[in-house]
Amino acid sequence: MIGVDLQIAARNLAAHTRRNLFLAGALAAVTGLLVLLGALTSGMEAAMTESATTLMTGHVNVGGFFKITSSSTAPLVSEYPKVLAEVKKRVPEIDYVTVRGRGWAKAVSENKSMDLVLAGVDVAHEPAFQRVLRISEGRLEDLGQPDTVLLFEGQAERLKVRVNDVLTLSAPTARGTNNTADVRVVAIAKNVGLLSAFSAFIQADALRRLYGLNPSATGAIHLFLKDPADAPTVAARLRAELATAGWRVMDPEAKPYWMKLMQTVPSEDWTGQKLDVTTADDEMGQFKQFILALRVVTGLLVVILMVVVVIGILNTLAIAIRERTREIGTLRAIGMQRGKVSWLILLETALLGVGGTAAGALLAVGLAAGVNAIGIHLPEAAQVFLAQERLTFLLDARAIATNAAFLAAVTIAASILPARRAARLKPITAMHHVG
Amino acid sequence: MIPMPKTLPLALALLLAAPPVASALTNDELARVVGEIDERQRNQGDWKALCYMEQKEKGKTDVVYELLVFRRDQDDKQMFLFTKPKAEAGKGYLRIEKNLWLYDPAVGRWERRTERERIGGTNTRRGDLDESKIREEYDAKWEADEKLGVYDVHKILLTVKPGVDVAYPVVRMWVDRSTTNVLKRQDLALSGRLMRTVYQPRWKKIFSPSKKADVWYPEEIRIFDEIEKGNSTLILIKEIDLRALEANLFTKAWLESRSR
Repeated sequence: MIGVDLQIAARNLAAHTRRNLFLAGALAAVTGLLVLLGALTSGMEAAMTESATTLMTGHVNVGGFFKITSSSTAPLVSEYPKVLAEVKKRVPEIDYVTVRGRGWAKAVSENKSMDLVLAGVDVAHEPAFQRVLRISEGRLEDLGQPDTVLLFEGQAERLKVRVNDVLTLSAPTARGTNNTADVRVVAIAKNVGLLSAFSAFIQADALRRLYGLNPSATGAIHLFLKDPADAPTVAARLRAELATAGWRVMDPEAKPYWMKLMQTVPSEDWTGQKLDVTTADDEMGQFKQFILALRVVTGLLVVILMVVVVIGILNTLAIAIRERTREIGTLRAIGMQRGKVSWLILLETALLGVGGTAAGALLAVGLAAGVNAIGIHLPEAAQVFLAQERLTFLLDARAIATNAAFLAAVTIAASILPARRAARLKPITAMHHVG
Repeated sequence: MIPMPKTLPLALALLLAAPPVASALTNDELARVVGEIDERQRNQGDWKALCYMEQKEKGKTDVVYELLVFRRDQDDKQMFLFTKPKAEAGKGYLRIEKNLWLYDPAVGRWERRTERERIGGTNTRRGDLDESKIREEYDAKWEADEKLGVYDVHKILLTVKPGVDVAYPVVRMWVDRSTTNVLKRQDLALSGRLMRTVYQPRWKKIFSPSKKADVWYPEEIRIFDEIEKGNSTLILIKEIDLRALEANLFTKAWLESRSR
């Protein structure tokens, strides 16, 4: 029976090709836009998360700031072996730990210069490096040699350097005195998202020398947990326990450490050491907020578009029902029940909705896949905004199906009122209608 | 009689023609020279100057800033107020004791910065626009007496005193022997690497009523970046005014009011 109804609905749609194609086109456009915006946002989030967890954060981090005077701020943890021992004792959820120096410097090559966020690493104790970093030139193991640096392809290209070239790093020490270090490029890795545009790895002792630090100082202790979902609980517990153990601990704030270094901490009136316990989400706090804002804007855009589509559907169906008043009256006169009339109109709209949204979703998927395959390189300003070097859409089948189903459901819901109005027509009135 | 070697007259001639070998400055003489450098630039009262800073960077458009520099040396206060270009107008630095604050009227916020901050993103440091404090900050060592162009100069090496924070821990200076004006300076990093070469070719003096003597200042400062070759900064100091400034000038409120 449903097959016959579907045939009738399809024939009715085909009888008004131009109008229905226009409506289906509008639905397809809205669906496509929704799918593309969702995939772009997911792509941005995935790229940022990948690069952040590789380059600048563990699942939980114990970092901190040291202020010799209230106007100077250095991103470091003094006497870190004591802190590390305490952390290991109190966090049984740890899978492994890495210790990294933190800093920034101006890197100067023969021809060019750029600012770099530096992570001082002991490569022998970085178990995830081999897995995450894809070396395109040189050897990762050589980063264990004194005064060496690992760059990403984009940086090497910008500085016009290759493996074995020497860079001069220039930065103020923790006391604000200018210092320099000459480091040899030993490896160049493939880019991993936006952060690899300005983050580089330097041998830990070279970083200490650049900043005039002793061997017991580092930038942060990165904790990688057996279950990353435990991060907020572990961070909250560690914050309280380190404070109880006598360390001064900063209040939680969802900001990357370099924003605190540049903005918040220098304006605070304290001196000495404070520890800062953060999660990966905290370190990406601003970015997460940006993603949330983007999703809200996308949602608002979709709501506005949906209102336009619903008005269009109501209007189109009102016209269609008016044009078909005599036809409906005849159907009612020959015995078709009100429910059946409503059902047929709903079925027509459902076909239109499903067809339109499916076509839109398919077109968007095709377009996104095409763009991904081409690998469009974004200009620098767009890279900052989109958190990607190449325009990448992350296509999630479940999200696409949900979006399409939602839009089809809204379309069907919008047709309920016109369908009921059509069903309420009296056969005699409808047959006398001159339209 | 031992015959005279044929080369002796030539050797004697060369010896007579050569410049006299420079004798090292004694500790007292060195202390006097260093003290005189500080003293000639010292100004007991207030100081106001109109400055221009031109920043040249490789691959970038040259930028010229106009700014007013205020100093109250007896209280160690200093303030810079940018007046041009339009985008920078109202921006300012305020130094109160050992704290340097940056005000940006675009965001209406004060940020505490390190004393060794690059002023306006140029290669200028706050200390370049302050009076000389060599005796307070550095230990001096005479290196040589030599020629710098047409000038006879003392070459002096300065090393930062323990516990003192400065932008450059080692400085080499070429000081005009006749005037004790610092004509050239090399600023070295902690690693010993040369970072900046500074030339101060033109010195001027102005009578200070508060000091009751002349105050000397370099009218032109040329800073060459030795790390990023090709980058340089030119500072011109004009329109010095040594009259007393308003009492409430060195305050955040005053600087904020300039951009309202």
